[in-house]
Amino acid sequence: MSGRTEHASQWIYQGVWRVLVDWFRVPKEPPTLPVEPGDVIETFQPAPGFLRYLKFWFWLGLLPLDVAILVGWIVLTVFVPWLGILLFPVAFILAVVPDIIVFVALHLRYDTTWYVMTRRSLRIRRGVWVIREVTITFENVQNIRVSQGPVQRHFAIADVVVETAGAGGDSHEKGFQVTNQGLIEGIQDPQHVRTLILDRLRGSKTAGLGDDEAESRPARAWTPRHDAVLREIRDALAAIPS
Amino acid sequence: MSRAQMPFDPQAITRPDPVLMTYYILVSLLTTVAFPVVIIVLWCKYHTLRYRFDDKGVSMSWGVLFRREIYLTYRRIQDIHVTRNILHRWLGLATISVQTASGSAGAEMTIEGILLAEALRDYLYAQMRGARGEGSPETPADAGDGGDETLKVLCEIRDEVRRLARQRRAEA
Repeated sequence: MSGRTEHASQWIYQGVWRVLVDWFRVPKEPPTLPVEPGDVIETFQPAPGFLRYLKFWFWLGLLPLDVAILVGWIVLTVFVPWLGILLFPVAFILAVVPDIIVFVALHLRYDTTWYVMTRRSLRIRRGVWVIREVTITFENVQNIRVSQGPVQRHFAIADVVVETAGAGGDSHEKGFQVTNQGLIEGIQDPQHVRTLILDRLRGSKTAGLGDDEAESRPARAWTPRHDAVLREIRDALAAIPS
Repeated sequence: MSRAQMPFDPQAITRPDPVLMTYYILVSLLTTVAFPVVIIVLWCKYHTLRYRFDDKGVSMSWGVLFRREIYLTYRRIQDIHVTRNILHRWLGLATISVQTASGSAGAEMTIEGILLAEALRDYLYAQMRGARGEGSPETPADAGDGGDETLKVLCEIRDEVRRLARQRRAEA
C-alpha cells in the first residue's frame, strides 16, 4: 500500500516538474559558473536532512490547523448532524488540499536550490516562481556566519551565510528583496565551505571594497643594491672638498 | 541560435530589448485599476532607458521629468543578482541587479530588458574583483621594472656627485 502511494506521489511530483519545466520554464539543470583552467567546479544541493527539517516545521505548523478543523467539524456534527455531514467534503478538502500543496512546494524548494562553487566564487540559485541567482566572488566577502539551531542540529544541517559589503541592511533574505548575502542553507558540511572561503579571504590583501590593483600594491621596497648606491653617493659627497 | 553563437559584445547594448515593453504592458495590466498610470510611467521609462557599457564601467539613465543616471565601475561590484519571474522567463528576459558597497538599501543598478542576461552576467562577473587571478597573493606585488627605475636614478645621482667631486678637486 505504502509502496503504491509512494509510486503515485512520485508520479504526481514528476508531473508537476514537467509542467514547471515546460510551461513555467524552470531550469532543470544546475547553474554554471565561468571556470578558469585548473579550477574545479563544485555543484551541490542541500543535504537530505534539510528536506526532513522543512517537513518537520511543516508538520508542526499543520497539526494545529488540522486539529482545529477536525474539532470544529466534530462539534458541528454533534450539534447539527445534517449540516456536519453536508460539510464533511468541505472540511476534508480544507484539511488535506493545503497539505498536499505545501508538501509539493517543500519538495520543489528543495529540488530547485543549487549551490555552485569554484575556488574564486560562489553562485546560489533559489526559487520556483521567482528564480533568483546570486554571484559573489570570495574576494568581496566580508564575513562568514555559520548558524545552527537545535532542530537543525538534530537533522545534522547548518546554514552558512556569506556576506559582502553590498547593499541591503536586513539580516534575513526575504521576499523579493535583493540583499548582500549568499545564504547556503541546509548543508551537512558547513566547516568545509567555511574553511574554503576563509582560506580565500586570508589570502586576499584588499578590503574587498573594489580597491584597484594599484592601491593594493605595496610600496616599492629598497633592495640591497639601492642601499649600496646610496652609500656610494654619501661617500662621494663626503669626498667633495669644501 | 545564431544570436547565441555570435560573440557577446556588451558595448553594443545601448537600449533595452523591445520585449521589455511587452513585459511592461503585461505588468501594468496586472495592476488593473492603476493601469493607465502605470503604463504611462513604464512607457516613459522604456523609451528613455539607455545603457552604456564601456571597458571600465556601466552607466544607465532614464526619466522624462526626473532624470536619473547611474554610473558604476565594474571593479566595485560586490555581488550580482539575476532575478527571473514567470513573465520574465516566458519572454526570455531577466533582471540583473548589481550592488556596490554603498549603504543604500536596494541594488544600485537594476539592468532590465536584456535578452542575453546570462552572457551579460558572465561578462560583469569576469570584470569583478576576484573573478580572475589579480589581487591574489600569487601575483607578484612589485612591478619588475619599477625597482630598476629607482636604481637607475640613484646611479645617475651618484655619477653626478662623483663628477662634481672630480671637478672641485681639479679646481682646487
